[in-house]
Amino acid sequence: MKTGRLVPLLFLAPALFLFGLLTIYPLVRVLLLSFFYTEYGFAGASFVGLENYAALLGDSFFRIATWNTIFFTVVATASEVGLGLLLALLVSKRFPGRFVVIPTLVAPFVLSTMVVTAIWRAWFHYDFGFLNNVLRAGGLPPVAWLFDPDIAMLSLVLVDVWQTVPLTFLILLAGLQSIQPEIYEAARMDGAGPRQILLRITIPLLVPHILLASLLRSIDSFKIFDKVYALTGGGPGQATETLSMYVYRLGFQFFDVGMASAAAVIMILVAGALAALYAVRIIRSESHAG
Amino acid sequence: MRGKLLRPALAYLVTAIVLLPIVWMVGTSVKPPIEYVSPVVDLLPNAPTAQHYRQLIGDGILGKMLNSLIVSFGATFLALFAGFLAAYALVRLKLPKNADMAFLLFVLLIKLSPPIVLAIPLYQVLRTLGLLDTLAGLVLVYQVYALPFAIWMLLGFVRDVPVAYEEAALMDGASLFQRMVHVVVPLMTPGLIATAVFLLILCWNEFVYALLFIQTPSKFTLPTFIATLITEDETFWGRLSAIGFIASLPILALVGVVQKGLTRGFAGGLK
Repeated sequence: MKTGRLVPLLFLAPALFLFGLLTIYPLVRVLLLSFFYTEYGFAGASFVGLENYAALLGDSFFRIATWNTIFFTVVATASEVGLGLLLALLVSKRFPGRFVVIPTLVAPFVLSTMVVTAIWRAWFHYDFGFLNNVLRAGGLPPVAWLFDPDIAMLSLVLVDVWQTVPLTFLILLAGLQSIQPEIYEAARMDGAGPRQILLRITIPLLVPHILLASLLRSIDSFKIFDKVYALTGGGPGQATETLSMYVYRLGFQFFDVGMASAAAVIMILVAGALAALYAVRIIRSESHAG
Repeated sequence: MRGKLLRPALAYLVTAIVLLPIVWMVGTSVKPPIEYVSPVVDLLPNAPTAQHYRQLIGDGILGKMLNSLIVSFGATFLALFAGFLAAYALVRLKLPKNADMAFLLFVLLIKLSPPIVLAIPLYQVLRTLGLLDTLAGLVLVYQVYALPFAIWMLLGFVRDVPVAYEEAALMDGASLFQRMVHVVVPLMTPGLIATAVFLLILCWNEFVYALLFIQTPSKFTLPTFIATLITEDETFWGRLSAIGFIASLPILALVGVVQKGLTRGFAGGLK
């Protein structure tokens, strides 16, 4: 559509202004701050070069937070994609009541994380929580879901799985439904059994959707903050301290803005790498569609 | 025959398990405290009570809800406005070479960055503008998430508007503004509504920036209010469940509205 040179700019102006103020300036600013030592908050800033980064590498809390974030990201993503796939396979064929089952399965995903967290905080309670009540009723010993350092992180994974399997489920279900039925028919004619069809046809054809779901979930898991904040506060000890919690603590509790910014820059680089992978996938699938 | 029954049975069972925490929440919201601090497995109350809901009104829940509504609608409106114009320009207007691709990659990077990493400079931006601890400030910083999401989702809807309609209007001598108002916006209404619904959900549930940039309790949004109850001693299950239920109702209703667009919106990575 032909217009003057000014019109497109005018259209982009509100978005560009908001991005400039809220993302570009802050990105530059956080990068600059990462090279400064600050007294308290922003007072008494002095240039220290890469010292903040060096200090991070030497900080055992940062190393623990990094390891915890990687652990959470890998375990949560793998469980969510795996369970999402099982669920999608379970409901991919028609059966009575399917139109009720599918939207119901999606419900946990739209609940606010704080609502989800409130429910699970109560479920994890040692004395009266739902989970331990069930265990005791079954004659099993109760579990210290949030206070056992070996279990606390897995409890966070459990909450994340409950809340976000609907997303991987929907993506994989869409993938399953896009496979042409003729392919299955042809395979059956050639005498393929259900297991062969699953392993040789369904799963390979689902690879793009599995990758998309894995990328979305890993990018999201990498950011995890609110569940940690409200369920464990990073504890017990540092058992569930993640990188977002680490930046929050440093920046907003200890007001060590320089160090917090250096940690933030490292997080942006990792997120950027994941985003690049995601972008490549999106652009490829767009060019296929177009 | 057995195999035919197995699949639906298993699907119902899984659905029931997935729903259990939500049923528990609704049940607990009407349980008297004596019932939920007991080591017995039960989902529903023996002696239902509305005391938690009454107590919430005393806590000023309506004010918190109003704050959430103002911020969510404000941020959604702003993101739709700026996002629609940008998406239209990116799809239909002539831009410098590769500008659209660069723009999209940038949008993607921001969309995927952890919110906490921008929090320190955003704190300074809000302080400079005098918007720290205000709802207007939240409307502004929510654009960090909302605007990229709006642009990303609206791009597809703009592409779906047939160019021929616009060209016909152009032949009839319609100006760009007239084309927008009489052709593009009406054709895009379903897309704009779907996008608005997802933006509303996104903003209604937002927690990190509301936690960091609002200090006055009377300005808390629902998620931050819930968080203040969670971090204290956990004897408020009834009240927490009641808020959880109330806070979820509008969202569940909205999702009903856009059921068909669910995958499209979610695949954009709502959270």
